[in-house]
Amino acid sequence: MRAGACGGGSARTPVDMGPEQPEPLPPSPVSRATLFAAFLKIGMLGFGGVMPWARRVLVEERGWLSDREFAELIGMCQVLPGPNVVNLSVILGARWQGAIGSLLALTGILFVPVIAVIVLATFYASVAHSPIARSAIGGASAAAAGLIIGTAFRLIVGARPPMRAVLLAVAVFIAVGIAQAPLLWVLAVAVPFAIAVEWRAAP
Amino acid sequence: MNTSFDLLFEIAWRFASLSLLAIGGINALLPEIHRVVVEVEGWMTSAEFADLFALAQLAPGPNAMVVSLLGWKVAGIAGAFVATIASCGPSSVVCYFAIRGLERLRNGALRGVLQRALAPVAIGLILASGYTLARAADRTAGAVLLTICGATAVAATRVNPIWILAAAALAGVAGVA
Repeated sequence: MRAGACGGGSARTPVDMGPEQPEPLPPSPVSRATLFAAFLKIGMLGFGGVMPWARRVLVEERGWLSDREFAELIGMCQVLPGPNVVNLSVILGARWQGAIGSLLALTGILFVPVIAVIVLATFYASVAHSPIARSAIGGASAAAAGLIIGTAFRLIVGARPPMRAVLLAVAVFIAVGIAQAPLLWVLAVAVPFAIAVEWRAAP
Repeated sequence: MNTSFDLLFEIAWRFASLSLLAIGGINALLPEIHRVVVEVEGWMTSAEFADLFALAQLAPGPNAMVVSLLGWKVAGIAGAFVATIASCGPSSVVCYFAIRGLERLRNGALRGVLQRALAPVAIGLILASGYTLARAADRTAGAVLLTICGATAVAATRVNPIWILAAAALAGVAGVA
């Protein structure tokens, strides 16, 4: 009854509905199809790291974002849990096409890589017993460990962090890497501690 | 049939419960994933873990693909999809809802505090991941050398990592590792 009393009039006379409607959103500059195509391309190209390709496609090729907007988005992705480029897909998909857009961008960026990795793994399983394949993957896995270590050093040099941040990074490294403490407990201590320290140090 | 469903459920639960801890991305999670899949579940050996990680780096796509490969190792193609969705799902849902709040903090002090607080945690975790992988992969002095070369190449040059891995694979075939 209440719904009828409030909305009955406008339901019968559609003309009256106009002013009560929220301002229609401007049409999204990015259609669902182009959104999916762009993220599909980023996922397919991302050999050895996806972020440079994400910037190239979104900023240079499509012109959907400025360099500054892209850098700000990456900054926000880093504050959130999860892979940065996956979070970037969720955020931009939502911005341009809502929840469906998030799903489309996610599918675009993950689908081809998942298939590619399965094909690669199947091939690897078929050659895994050959001595040459064993030596090749042995060399690659040793270097792959180095890639991660090098990335960490690059982040340290790029951020030029204060001494307290370096000490925190070393403490987290020792706890998780050397002492092999469960991640949840390390984060439960380190994150609130770090936020408290930075909050006090903030100007 | 029942067993494989149980296995998929186990994979989903294991990876989903780690998803929200991935500060700094999946690479920050590797020691914990290693602990779970090698030591707790016994799904593979430490060396197999390192090999699968290297294989994931040779494929296109986000670093998160290592998770798909671990899922594949445990339970085939279904395992790959379940592990991928489980590891990215919870963090994506949080991202979807948290981003509006974060955007409101655009230039606010709190966001700066969060970024400065989380960056060193993420760096420490990534370093721990590199160390875990190196311990799993480096069984010879030659392999240690390749790890050092890989780290130096990434830290000091802008060469695409795929070429570093290809060079290391060739070095492996040549008998270095």
